[in-house]
Amino acid sequence: MTAADDHNDDVALAGEYALHLLDAEARRAFEDRLNNEPALRILVSEWDAHFISLSDEFTPVVPPAMMKARIEDVLFPKAAKARSEFSLWRVVLGAGFAAALGLAVLVALPPANVPDPFTPSFTAELAAEDQSLVVLASFAPDVGVLRIDRQAGEARQGRVLELWLIADGATAPVSLGVLPADAATNITLPADLIDAIAGGTLAISDEPIGGSTTGAPTGDVLAAGVVVSI
Amino acid sequence: MTTRNDVEKMIAQVGLGDRTAFSSLYDATSAKLFGVCLRILNDRAEAEDVLQEAFVRIWQKAKTYAANGYSPMTWLITLTRNLAIDKLRTRKAGSVDIDEVYDLADSGPTPEAAAVASSERAQIDGCLDELEPDRAGAVRDAYLEGHSYNELAAKYGVPLNTMRTWLRRSLGKLKDCLTR
Repeated sequence: MTAADDHNDDVALAGEYALHLLDAEARRAFEDRLNNEPALRILVSEWDAHFISLSDEFTPVVPPAMMKARIEDVLFPKAAKARSEFSLWRVVLGAGFAAALGLAVLVALPPANVPDPFTPSFTAELAAEDQSLVVLASFAPDVGVLRIDRQAGEARQGRVLELWLIADGATAPVSLGVLPADAATNITLPADLIDAIAGGTLAISDEPIGGSTTGAPTGDVLAAGVVVSI
Repeated sequence: MTTRNDVEKMIAQVGLGDRTAFSSLYDATSAKLFGVCLRILNDRAEAEDVLQEAFVRIWQKAKTYAANGYSPMTWLITLTRNLAIDKLRTRKAGSVDIDEVYDLADSGPTPEAAAVASSERAQIDGCLDELEPDRAGAVRDAYLEGHSYNELAAKYGVPLNTMRTWLRRSLGKLKDCLTR
């Protein structure tokens, strides 16, 4: 075989690979070659780019609504925990009730105290399943300020919204305080909580006026979201 | 409408571990990718399993996406299609006769066709048209239905080795035409 024959052979082989026509053994052997031969990888990516023109014949079908949660539960087990009902939360974290007492040391500050520019490096979206409450949280660790922006929903009549942090691996939620009636507020976190934000979960519970008196959530968990780095 | 650039940015953010971006990427692309799974597998439960696996892979591999040189939808569709065909190949032989079950084939252009770069589509159509109809059909079926050589040989009524020879020759001709 000449070099040109070899090349033509590889062109067809790369096409068969892109179409997924090779049997398992031939496919594995080809993938071994792919790891070592950049030219072969280019041939495959060229075929993939050619064939993608046919992909408009794949008619989009909206997957069942539960699929997204199912996938996120697989990828982010903590988020699944936060999404679950408060009763479950209490079962999971109940042992830590006492430990949580006395940890609510937060102060809600007027927005005037926001450092300018506010440069958050963490964010979380706390949303009820039905979007009846949507709160965006952003956190700037250098100044320890957590900005809360309530985009939808409000406290129930005669009740308040209380914000909680469940640190990664923590056994109990820590109160970050009662949210004021204003949609936007800034909360300055004590130094010992700043490091707990990353990877933690923020949650909002429904509480009597003045907030939970037990140091742990007593009402429904209305919304929760995992803190991610920006 | 979500543009190619938007999807590219979402993938980049997902590569940084951004779950909000992952959620947006899912919203923007899951219908297309589920359509790929359904067409190849023609089974809802299996299609859901593969869609889940695809998004797990996307989450895991997004950080290496920028280096692979693929356009965003090409990467997402190729990854998903390969997983769907892997699933298809693991079925016990004979449990499902795809030709019988799948009768949505030969669908005309979908509304979305207009959204795909029409010149590229015209190019591959033009090059497939240069092949004999059966041979072009075999290439299309391999891509769109995920047919194996055995299934193609049965569908077009030729021996397995003949089908393999046909298809490899067709690929050679296609490549020549596409790079002209």
